[in-house]
Amino acid sequence: MLQTVAGRRALAALAALALLVPFVSALQFWGGRGGGDPRAWDFDPDPRAEFQFVRYAYGSGGDSGGWGRRRGGWRTDWPEAEYHLTSGIERLTVIDTAYGGKFIDPLDEELFDWPWLYAVEVGRWHLDDREVARLREYLLRGGFLMVDDFHGSEQWARFMYSMQRVFPDRPVVEIPAGDALLHTLYDLDQRTQIPGIQYVWSGTTFERDGFTPHWRGIYDDEGRLMVAINFNMDLGDAWEHADTPEYPESLTALAYRFAVNYVIYAMTH
Amino acid sequence: MFEFLFKYPLAAFRKGEFALATGWPLWLLALLVALGCGLVAWLARRERSRLAAKPGLAVLALQCLSVALVLTLLWQPALVVQSLKSHQNVVAVLVDASRSMAFGEDGVSRLQRSSRLLAEQVLPGLKERFRVRLYGFGAHPERLESLAPEHWPEPRPSSAVGESVLSVLRESTAVPLGAVVVVSDGSDTTQRFDRDLLAEIRQYNVPVHTVGVGRDRIAGDIELAAVRVASESLPQSRVSARMTIRHDGQRDLATRVTVRDGSELLASRAITLRAGEPVRREWVDFGAGDAGVRNLSFSVEPVAGEEIRENNTRRRVLDVPRGRRRILYAEGEPRWQYKFMRRAVHRDASVQLVTLLRTSVNKYYRQGVDTPEELEDGFPADEEGLFAYDALIVGSFEAAFFTPQQQVAMREFVSRRGGALMMLAGPNGLGAGGWHLSELVDALPSELVAGEESFQRERVKVELTTQGREALVCRLHPDPGRSAELWAELPELADFQRLGDLKPAAVPLLGVRHGRDLLPLLVRQNYGRGRTVILATGGSWRWRMSLPSDDVRHDTFWRQLLRSLVAASEGPVRLTSDRPEYADDSRMLLRAEVRGKDYRHANNAQVTAVVTPEVGEPLSVDLAPAASAPGVYEAEVEIAAAGAYRIEAAAYSGDERLGADTLHVRRESGVAEFFRPERNRDLLVRLADRTGGRYWELGDAAQLPREIRFSQAGITAREVLDLWDMPALFLLLLALRGGEWALRKRWGVI
Repeated sequence: MLQTVAGRRALAALAALALLVPFVSALQFWGGRGGGDPRAWDFDPDPRAEFQFVRYAYGSGGDSGGWGRRRGGWRTDWPEAEYHLTSGIERLTVIDTAYGGKFIDPLDEELFDWPWLYAVEVGRWHLDDREVARLREYLLRGGFLMVDDFHGSEQWARFMYSMQRVFPDRPVVEIPAGDALLHTLYDLDQRTQIPGIQYVWSGTTFERDGFTPHWRGIYDDEGRLMVAINFNMDLGDAWEHADTPEYPESLTALAYRFAVNYVIYAMTH
Repeated sequence: MFEFLFKYPLAAFRKGEFALATGWPLWLLALLVALGCGLVAWLARRERSRLAAKPGLAVLALQCLSVALVLTLLWQPALVVQSLKSHQNVVAVLVDASRSMAFGEDGVSRLQRSSRLLAEQVLPGLKERFRVRLYGFGAHPERLESLAPEHWPEPRPSSAVGESVLSVLRESTAVPLGAVVVVSDGSDTTQRFDRDLLAEIRQYNVPVHTVGVGRDRIAGDIELAAVRVASESLPQSRVSARMTIRHDGQRDLATRVTVRDGSELLASRAITLRAGEPVRREWVDFGAGDAGVRNLSFSVEPVAGEEIRENNTRRRVLDVPRGRRRILYAEGEPRWQYKFMRRAVHRDASVQLVTLLRTSVNKYYRQGVDTPEELEDGFPADEEGLFAYDALIVGSFEAAFFTPQQQVAMREFVSRRGGALMMLAGPNGLGAGGWHLSELVDALPSELVAGEESFQRERVKVELTTQGREALVCRLHPDPGRSAELWAELPELADFQRLGDLKPAAVPLLGVRHGRDLLPLLVRQNYGRGRTVILATGGSWRWRMSLPSDDVRHDTFWRQLLRSLVAASEGPVRLTSDRPEYADDSRMLLRAEVRGKDYRHANNAQVTAVVTPEVGEPLSVDLAPAASAPGVYEAEVEIAAAGAYRIEAAAYSGDERLGADTLHVRRESGVAEFFRPERNRDLLVRLADRTGGRYWELGDAAQLPREIRFSQAGITAREVLDLWDMPALFLLLLALRGGEWALRKRWGVI
């Protein structure tokens, strides 16, 4: 009897373990490579550097479409994208750059200490009213936001749902070829679509119905770009997979150049 | 009383020489005095038994003095003086006919009071001995028939006391002019009553007697004595004016100072003029506005019952020229301060920031350039390229990047060109960038701390220094108190850099609190013709990002700082006038300082000025080289009509145009006499003392005819004036004898 009870308990434990393993694996998959609370990660960019690559950890409040901060799409490509890109910025420019990246909660007061923000997977974001107001204030004070890695009309609509609440009266426009953004360090005259890692196994540069790449932006009253929008592209993957043999080096190089131009633009305009 | 005791006026004693009229030898007098004293002493021996030693000596001394005095009188002491011969000399009497003489006391004007006294008590006495020429004067003297009211001159809008006297002296060289009498309140509106003018008057050797008219103070009057304000300002910048206000200082007066451009009120502030503080200086700030010419009026509101209100306002012209001054900003690395500094002056009407940013090891990013070629080859390699800018900013750029020639050019940019250089902190800036070993080290306002560790990314709080509280560049609000509060509320800076000891001429405007120390943050000093500034931070951008988007403190600070760098920058030609205002004075002295393209003095230039009045035809004037200084050209211009004048001077060397400058002045009419309306006693005393004359109060002027004859000018005669019969001497003899009698009576030995 006892053996039976013990055996049942062992069986139950095994069954629970069997259920738990895939759940934890799923968590790790959706949560990115670091897993768990990013604040607990062993990560400390040099605080003495002038330029810090700061990731916008949206989704901290209200409805975030199921993408809460801990498990949100904001940390896609983290942290390899930052490590690779900041090394590139350090190498290609004279910007005093911190190795790696930081992230910031949209409602954190420290947001205003970092005039550069990077937001990824914004086709799934949802900003609540406080976050909308905070982001608008951040941009009006002179902060710069680069958004990346969202594709197709559905994700565009979701992105714009929040963005239009940030700037209801400012249009999103295509960045013209002569804009300083495309010439601060590199003259980026070719508009090549930079795909995500899926290109390696699918062979297609687009995702969903995002066939055409767009370099769009939102300008302030003085004609300065406040928000740089990489639509139907995934520069983050190109940085992240800079050391992936299958991912084309030419696309990674182009993604680096766009990023360097964006950073210099953000620090000069 | 003096004349009763001493028989003659004081002037006779001042100008005469003492003599003994008998001509007997002095040694005989001395011998007789000695014998007399000996006789007195011998006689006194007989009284020794009755007088003690000390009283005996006192009596002996009094007796000896009496003997000496009597014997001296026998030698007939006298004064030998030069005096004007009767009816052969001319005395010029100048009566101030300016508008200030119309001010009255007790219902009688100064002119009425002085004319009456002259007519009744002075002129009759003068006419007994001399031929009298009467003049009325304002800016120039004019002959008068008499001082009867029907002959009084029209009130003149200005007065030139010294120049009028000089003019009379000049025109009287052909006549025996014995003395000049000036009756005036001492108001000289020309501002040319100086040492040179007095020396010229003195050369004529004619005593000038002055008679002061009017009160030393006018109760309840407030006067705007002076306004000190720049004649030129950058568009949209703030201007600070210093108003000097005088009042009688007898009681507190509440009033208000205002600055207006036409009818537009630019600034206004309530003030209280304190009793016991007759001179008050007030600083008033206002916005220069858009480009154009501002006709500013500075006023102190009249108080109730104020008699003279015309002296409460002064006018100035402020030129706000079009065009932006150009600042070259070389930055060694992209950084946030660069971005936010550029944004602060993005559309500034007065400053154009031309930037050269090193983005990678071999690449530079240019912003704000006028042409695609500008800075195409990087930082200017020589003086000519660098001198095209008005100011220079060097950011986080190591000194070794610049060649020694470029460093020397940067120093000369400050000292010779007259530009401003500002050095910013950074990982490669100041001491961390090796600038302490550069050619610029002597020019900087501070010693530099060597080494990378001098730059620290540590948040620090900024504080205003005492000088910073007063400096316009640090003014975040028109009210200095509110401005200090705004500074105190600012967020921390992102970083700072340590500086060494400040140079003696350095002025610290801002500091950062680090522990107990207040480290210098913003320091400036003059160097040669220009200025150098150090801003020891690269982290002021935190002010912009940490404050609400509608807060303008960061941008205001940077705009003011950059404007202050270029505000004093001068071109190759600098045109000035001898005065900021011309109130009832039509002579303007123009002065042009001319330099070549290398900013060295141009001594062979042709300088022409075109003077354009508000109404009328322009006048072209050639400026002549001045002997006083190299590269300086001067001309005197008549500006007769009231109103604004625009003067544009251009300098050429052969066919090459060296440069041009523009000046605006304003000529007022009918206002000068309202300023300093009280009697200027000092001026009249100085005029009399320097010429051998005497200053007279109006009430004493009746004595003037008797004294005026003692003069060495004109036709004179040597006159011997007996002194032996002076009442004072007989009184002295009486006092000596009486004193002896009083002493003997006291001691009981009569």
